[in-house]
Amino acid sequence: MHRLNHADAPLRLPPCGHPDRLPELQRWRRTSGWQAAGWVAAIEAGSVAVDVDVLTVLAERLDGPSALRLLRWWWQLPSPDPRWPALIGGVRDPLLAAWLRDRLASPDQSGAPEMSACLLPLLGFQRQPQDGALLARWALAPQPGAVRRAALEGLAVGLSAWPQAALANWLRRLATDHDSSLAAAAVDLLARLPAARAQLVALAGVPLDAAVEQRRQRRLAALSLPQALASSLLLVVHGRAGGVVPPELLELAAELERRRRAPVLLQALTGEPPGRPAAVGEASALPLTLVPLMLLPGGHVRHDIPAIAAHWRLQGPVRRLPFLGAWPAWQRALAAEMAELCERAAQPPAQPPPQPLLLHHPLEGPLARRFLAHLEACTGARCVPASYSDPSGEGLLSSLIPAPIAGAPAPPPLLPLALAANRLTDSLASLVGPPLLQRARFRQLLLAELEALP
Amino acid sequence: MTSVSVSSPPVLSKVEQAKADLCGLELAPRLEELGRQGWEALDEATLTIRLKWLGIFFRPVTPGRFMVRLRLPNGVISAEQLAVLADVIDRCGEHGSADLTTRQNIQLRGLLLEDMAPLMAALEGVGLTSRQSGHDNPRNVTGNPLAGIDPEEIVDTRPLVDAIQAALLGPAGPRNLPRKFNVAVGGAPDSFLLHNDLAFLPAHHNGALGFTVMVGGFFSAQRNELAIPLGLWLPAEQLPGFTLAVLRHYERSGNRQQRNKSRLMYLIDQLGVESYRQAVLSTWAELGGDPATAAAHDGSHLVTRAPRDGLGVQSQKQQGLHWAGLHVPMGRLDAEGMVELARLARIYGSGELRLTEAQNALIVNVPAERLEALLAEPLLQRFRPDPSPLQAEAVSCTGNAYCSFALIPTKGAAQAVLEELEQRVELPHAVRMHWTGCPNACGQPYMGQIGLMGAKARKDGEMVEAAKIFLGGSMDAEPKLAELHDKGVPLSDLPDVLEQLLVERFGARRRPMPA
Repeated sequence: MHRLNHADAPLRLPPCGHPDRLPELQRWRRTSGWQAAGWVAAIEAGSVAVDVDVLTVLAERLDGPSALRLLRWWWQLPSPDPRWPALIGGVRDPLLAAWLRDRLASPDQSGAPEMSACLLPLLGFQRQPQDGALLARWALAPQPGAVRRAALEGLAVGLSAWPQAALANWLRRLATDHDSSLAAAAVDLLARLPAARAQLVALAGVPLDAAVEQRRQRRLAALSLPQALASSLLLVVHGRAGGVVPPELLELAAELERRRRAPVLLQALTGEPPGRPAAVGEASALPLTLVPLMLLPGGHVRHDIPAIAAHWRLQGPVRRLPFLGAWPAWQRALAAEMAELCERAAQPPAQPPPQPLLLHHPLEGPLARRFLAHLEACTGARCVPASYSDPSGEGLLSSLIPAPIAGAPAPPPLLPLALAANRLTDSLASLVGPPLLQRARFRQLLLAELEALP
Repeated sequence: MTSVSVSSPPVLSKVEQAKADLCGLELAPRLEELGRQGWEALDEATLTIRLKWLGIFFRPVTPGRFMVRLRLPNGVISAEQLAVLADVIDRCGEHGSADLTTRQNIQLRGLLLEDMAPLMAALEGVGLTSRQSGHDNPRNVTGNPLAGIDPEEIVDTRPLVDAIQAALLGPAGPRNLPRKFNVAVGGAPDSFLLHNDLAFLPAHHNGALGFTVMVGGFFSAQRNELAIPLGLWLPAEQLPGFTLAVLRHYERSGNRQQRNKSRLMYLIDQLGVESYRQAVLSTWAELGGDPATAAAHDGSHLVTRAPRDGLGVQSQKQQGLHWAGLHVPMGRLDAEGMVELARLARIYGSGELRLTEAQNALIVNVPAERLEALLAEPLLQRFRPDPSPLQAEAVSCTGNAYCSFALIPTKGAAQAVLEELEQRVELPHAVRMHWTGCPNACGQPYMGQIGLMGAKARKDGEMVEAAKIFLGGSMDAEPKLAELHDKGVPLSDLPDVLEQLLVERFGARRRPMPA
């Protein structure tokens, strides 16, 4: 049986075209316990006849440093093969990203355009948020079409990594480009953004190439077809006494229903479940999507939501999402809101800034403790329990907030973990401000996230 | 003190470890989140191995652009489903395309990770799935592409294929096979299926129509085998349960130490056919099956000839109805072509299409009075019902545009060579040519009357793209694998060499040279 000797393997690889070359490479591909570094060194030394086949086998073993060495080697070849970077650059690595960024620093001064066209998609593949603007500059620059399309492909393969507002702006500009294939691709990418429908509608008055306009309409039509793409939503909310749903939640549901063109139901924990309108079954072949709009992993999330899901499953398939407070995007929004509050609460230079507070309904148990610790780490705020029934009582909260008397330090920035108006936000309105859904950041986020659901 | 020797469990390979750590099906609820988070959330094993349990393939040649392989049992697809798939690849612009595969299936190319959650929902919405269509899973179950409409039909394979898929994807189905596994059901005299790990061929036993069981067929870079008789006959209703038993036994007993020796035939070699049969029957009994319904059988069957191409307008067994078999060059579709195919199926037929293993598409249930209008549709200039005898049954793997193992651009090279040959020769009958880019043999070169495999060869002192030539593959009553004829003809010389072969061996006549 043929034995694989790891040390001198690169030197023994048969030349391109030799009948034993592919079987040998296949054997290597299936063998564990070897590193790519030896092969990379042999390639750099010119000891291996390089072709797509050997790079394909190596690609599965490359780490960041090895991939970077190979790309540097490729960059310096007298006639570099344009197929190779895609094979060797599929490793996400900060140093590799930095090298690509350096090579592509300026569309005007980056050497041969065909070389840049090979590297632009790789920079997108690295998905470093700061590179979105660079890729957009290349896509919008007066460069050969192939280079601009390569830059747009870089934006495509990193789509969710770029700042979304800026990305939408770049894509809208590209959608009007005289290069119709570039413009068409931009429209297709706009159709993948969370607020796709709004983005495509916004292009309605803009003069587009005829084929691009047709494409826009096809994308829009697909987004507007509830039968194909939009499931019915069931928003489970806490609600107020007697099953009353606060107006901001009613408005949210109505707006979502308008945007998704699919039924959006509201169920308050304090009330009876709504009936299943015939439209839920008729409008969508997809399962009902249950969205628990709860902010904390309390008893409602652990016990009530599974029971509600079980109830609805009796009537048809249900897809259950995690509770809202666990969504990474929601936690990022909390952190951003808190940072903005802290910035506004400027303190005299001599005084240490007070720690911001997140007021929440009291929770018990290890899961709750872990979640609150995670929230504190995400937001930099301290989580403080405040009972809805006695929010201004004599508990921990009152000890953390100075009495409103002359000369006393300003209260720390506060944010109530309440999605919609409740007794906490009613009774401490002047201290904690409006509930989260009455704030633009959270309302927009929730609309965008829920609109984007299938 | 007594020392106890404990044998340590074998070290798992990278692939086996990845499968043992997490089943790819567990990723389904996370697809939307993964789309938002992108690569950051994916380790290498998830990206390159586990996602294939959902039918999602990371493609090293197009990093960031994924492929999705569906499951289309028996190659049946509706116009509505095809239109949804067309929209999916239309969104991918110049990166989007679809391939008809040699398993009567469709692969979508050029998708972003962000597309996956909405795609899976859209697939589910129209009754499609891509579940377990890649890697170590039971692949798309094939059947007679003319099932239910075939005047020569022995048995309608559609309900059997559907039931087998339901059994394999159901709660008792396998989730961690040692390797991929192909299953097929024959229903006509031309149902050649011996390239499958498990094939059911129609056969009689004591006057009853059922199926004889064939096992172990596969092609690979190392070994090529046609399936052999297991020595069992089964009534149709037992096929799903028996298939599940075969797969569960393979899951438990297949070779997980050497991936290049893990296909079913190696297990049969190891156990011997008799012992293997007994082991499968025992597993079937354990799963609640009834081995008493199986009978010993000599493996004779009712498949007697090579597959028909199914092209052109042909009469169905239903009075007054026809199917129109359209040749899709190299099985490659774009969004526009798919939209049009769907439209034609809806307007002229019953809204149903069939896909063949020769990578072609059939529009079915077309009434006689609509045929003329159908044949006048512009799409039929592109997807012809009457392609040349060389084009009709040409099969190709994807080639180096999407696969880094392919040594040549298979589809493009094949199309160019075939068009050149059409200019040069006339053929009295179709010649089945199978093109594949590398020894992994995805284009099944050993099944072609002429098989071509990507290679490199030296020409004028330089290494150039080339093809090995195989000859003599037969799928008729005496099946035979093609054998190596030439180990490397440069692509530029291929038209000359193939022209000579067609004249000498396949009755081709040279066309007069233009003056």
